[in-house]
Amino acid sequence: MLEGYLPILVFLGVGTFIGAAAIAIGFILGPHRPDSEKLSPYECGFEAFEDTRMKFDVRYYLVAILFIIFDLEIAFLFPWAVVLAEIGIVGLMAMAVFLGILVVGFIYEWKKGALEWE
Amino acid sequence: MIALSDYLILGAILFCISVAGIFLNRRNVLILLMCIELMLLAVNMNFIAFSHFLGNATGQVFVFFVLTVAAAEAAIGLAILVVLFRNRRTIDVAELDTLKG
Amino acid sequence: MTFEKFLFYFFAAMVIFAGLMLITRRNPVYSALFLVLAFFNAAGLWMLMEAEFLAITLVLVYVGAVMVLFLFVVMMLDINVAEMKPGCFITYLPVGILIALTMVVEMVMVVGPNHFGLDIYASPVPHAPGYSNTGELGSMLYTIYMYPFEIAAVILLVAIVAAIGLTLRRRPDTKSQNPSKQVLVKRDDRLRVVKMPSESKMELK
Repeated sequence: MLEGYLPILVFLGVGTFIGAAAIAIGFILGPHRPDSEKLSPYECGFEAFEDTRMKFDVRYYLVAILFIIFDLEIAFLFPWAVVLAEIGIVGLMAMAVFLGILVVGFIYEWKKGALEWE
Repeated sequence: MIALSDYLILGAILFCISVAGIFLNRRNVLILLMCIELMLLAVNMNFIAFSHFLGNATGQVFVFFVLTVAAAEAAIGLAILVVLFRNRRTIDVAELDTLKG
Repeated sequence: MTFEKFLFYFFAAMVIFAGLMLITRRNPVYSALFLVLAFFNAAGLWMLMEAEFLAITLVLVYVGAVMVLFLFVVMMLDINVAEMKPGCFITYLPVGILIALTMVVEMVMVVGPNHFGLDIYASPVPHAPGYSNTGELGSMLYTIYMYPFEIAAVILLVAIVAAIGLTLRRRPDTKSQNPSKQVLVKRDDRLRVVKMPSESKMELK
């Protein structure tokens, strides 16, 4: 059973190796002569005014939350799609109610204007 | 072969790491929330281990629900955190000691 | 040591390492990234226990969405890491280690090999190649556990409403365009043709 997943493990290993190797080779082979001017943040000639970390707007967060909710909804759809032929009309109605409840939430956020980017 | 006790011990160690994390990081609500996520991971590990060794998929169904509830909890918890930071300009637990908003 | 055992110990060591790093970092960004590492390796462990669907769900939902949310919040809060006082960490370090060690020892005594070892719970027979973990989960989730499934929908609905109610702020002073209004505008909304009698004669001075 698990033998079928061996290619994925090999893929993960190769991916990790290539990623680490690219960084390591660059680190080893590249010239590495830092001084304070090189390491300071570059900002068009003058001294840096502020931290490079920029404050995000709260609206990104709202979009991310709504994404999580509907991501989970999709996760619930996968097993349902696999077994729909076995569970028949009961499963169909169960999923209809589930999606109905979430559509209520979707309408709520639409009407509230949470999806608007004013 | 890997025994059930190995998975259970791993779950116990993970749970205790997150308990220690809650003790250590009282300055930062954000890391406290992450520790709670780690705790739930440890609990889920136990559920899946028992489900695997007893040959019963009910544990996995329960883990699915735990994942759902944990995602909702993270969403609401972080929303509260954002509002808290907007009002108080801090996420230090020790400074959140007033009852009045 | 079989290959499976090697994988188990590798993933377990990575999970514990990531957990320890998570709780000792001062910068929440590193903590969030170590939590991602812990989730990835836990997904590997779940794969070993033949819970394939949940392993993928963990990566998709947690690593893909929840951790992005955590990182967004870290970026949004704009906490100055250097200003955070380190005193608390050292103060609570002995207590934290003591309690964690006590709990580990107690739990290992309960769940250790003499109660849950291989001789008591034998390793299950691996499933046949045609077995579908997703299918087995689905055949229970939508029939026996139908009510919890609908309650999960309600919980997600609550999360939507709570997140919008807590964080959504209307900003009346922002200047914005409404493209549909711009497109739908008619000539008569913008232009008014005024009929008026022409002047008869200008008097020259």
